[in-house]
Amino acid sequence: MKIKTFRRIAQTATLIAIFLIPLLNVFELYFIKGTFYSMDIGDAAIADPLAVFQSMLASGTINPYMIGSLIIPIALMLLLGRVWCSWFCPYYFIAEMMEKLRKLMRMKPFKPQYTDSYPHKQAKYRYLFLLVGLLVMSVIGVPILNLISAPGIISSQALVLVKFGYVTFELVFVAVLVFLELFYYRWWCRLFCPTGTFLSFFRMKRGMTVRKVADECSNCLTCVRTCPMMINPMTMGESGHCNNCGDCVDACPDNRKKDTLKFTFR
Amino acid sequence: MRNKFTEMFENLLNSNPFKNYFKKNRLRPPGAVDEEMFMELCIRCARCIEVCPYDSIRRADLYEKLQIGTPYVFPDDKACYLCMRCMKVCPTGALNPRLTEGQDVRMGLAVINQDTCLNFKYYKDEMEGVSMSGTAQLCSTCYNVCPYTDSAIVLEKFILPVITDKCTGCGICAEKCPSTPKKSIVIYPEGMPIEEKAGFYGRKHRVQAQDEKKPEGALHGEELLNQKQKIDGSDAKPDFEYNMELYETKDEWQNQ
Repeated sequence: MKIKTFRRIAQTATLIAIFLIPLLNVFELYFIKGTFYSMDIGDAAIADPLAVFQSMLASGTINPYMIGSLIIPIALMLLLGRVWCSWFCPYYFIAEMMEKLRKLMRMKPFKPQYTDSYPHKQAKYRYLFLLVGLLVMSVIGVPILNLISAPGIISSQALVLVKFGYVTFELVFVAVLVFLELFYYRWWCRLFCPTGTFLSFFRMKRGMTVRKVADECSNCLTCVRTCPMMINPMTMGESGHCNNCGDCVDACPDNRKKDTLKFTFR
Repeated sequence: MRNKFTEMFENLLNSNPFKNYFKKNRLRPPGAVDEEMFMELCIRCARCIEVCPYDSIRRADLYEKLQIGTPYVFPDDKACYLCMRCMKVCPTGALNPRLTEGQDVRMGLAVINQDTCLNFKYYKDEMEGVSMSGTAQLCSTCYNVCPYTDSAIVLEKFILPVITDKCTGCGICAEKCPSTPKKSIVIYPEGMPIEEKAGFYGRKHRVQAQDEKKPEGALHGEELLNQKQKIDGSDAKPDFEYNMELYETKDEWQNQ
């Protein structure tokens, strides 16, 4: 079975959960509560590390509640890599759907050409955007990077829609991002998204990563062409860009005969 | 040199324009740390909004500047019923989770407008003796609905509602206040200065801030004294009639 199938199931389940969780809360079932900024499952608190880091930076204090809500997401990051982005983030799912829509409308392929220097160029954008964002945030003293976090906006809008029956202006921001997704290939996730960039700091080489297991392969570069984050999965699986989506593992033609490109723990 | 614009600029430099944005009847949820800290800590995860069983906590909208997504309670619309659920779910401690007793909450302070409050009106009418006409109404709703009756709100002279410093600011009184067209109770959020309670220095400051304008041609010193001394009320008679017998001359009185 393809990894993509599991991934689609997880993404669809998340998309349903966005509406289901507020609905359960409306009926006073408080088992799971929260949005993708921060969530409680039972009593286990989970919070977006960037959001918590911002409030630490702005307030200059660290309290046990912040630390407690950071444990689970960071442990997940270290163990499984940046699976949040590719397996659960609703915005990533929408972006993938926009790519499909493009194919349906028979527009020309728009993925930029891969070169060896491309990943480093991308990294510059990402880290610079996060750094500037954090600087502006600490001057203003309000966690403003939360206001441009796409998954957070989507889920909190769903909450407002279910609980109060209206949506607010922030949805326009996401709509603009999604619309531009038609013309620039995965531009938000690849080049700007501060949440994803911050998550990728907690990457551990011992966790789940894509690696070339066999010594030799047919060198067809299918994995490079399929990679949505524009990196070379054969060599750069450990880098912060890889979000463990598994598209390259699915696409690799050598995998059928012999394990070549696989998810590994080391 | 000081004018409106320099004052605006001063305010802009001395206080963060994105924080401390107080409005009457708009409170933070119970257990919130003070406003400046709250804006730093709140990550807009909306968990407190989700968990509120009365739908009292609302999400701030775009017109609230950078406060979009932060939780607010609008007590004149839907008050907080102090169920103490929201502070337990806060992931960053913006709402203090150690708060468990409803009476320790300080969200704000209720202030009664004595000109429109029905009980105060009734008392005034009673003193003047017009309540016989039947227009005056006795209400005491705020006293009855308060969750901490007789400690947060007391009835002075068994009729006048007075709010003490034990007021939690939950705003149930403001929600239920029946006076029309405007409600007689306003909740001031915690941290917002209350003009009526500013004390001597606050009042003095306000008096000095008002422009003193004297009418043209006003007299001063010696001239004023002379003018005053010229006033002679010996032969003047009032232009109204007394409703009792008066004696015009001294003799008449002595003859009695």
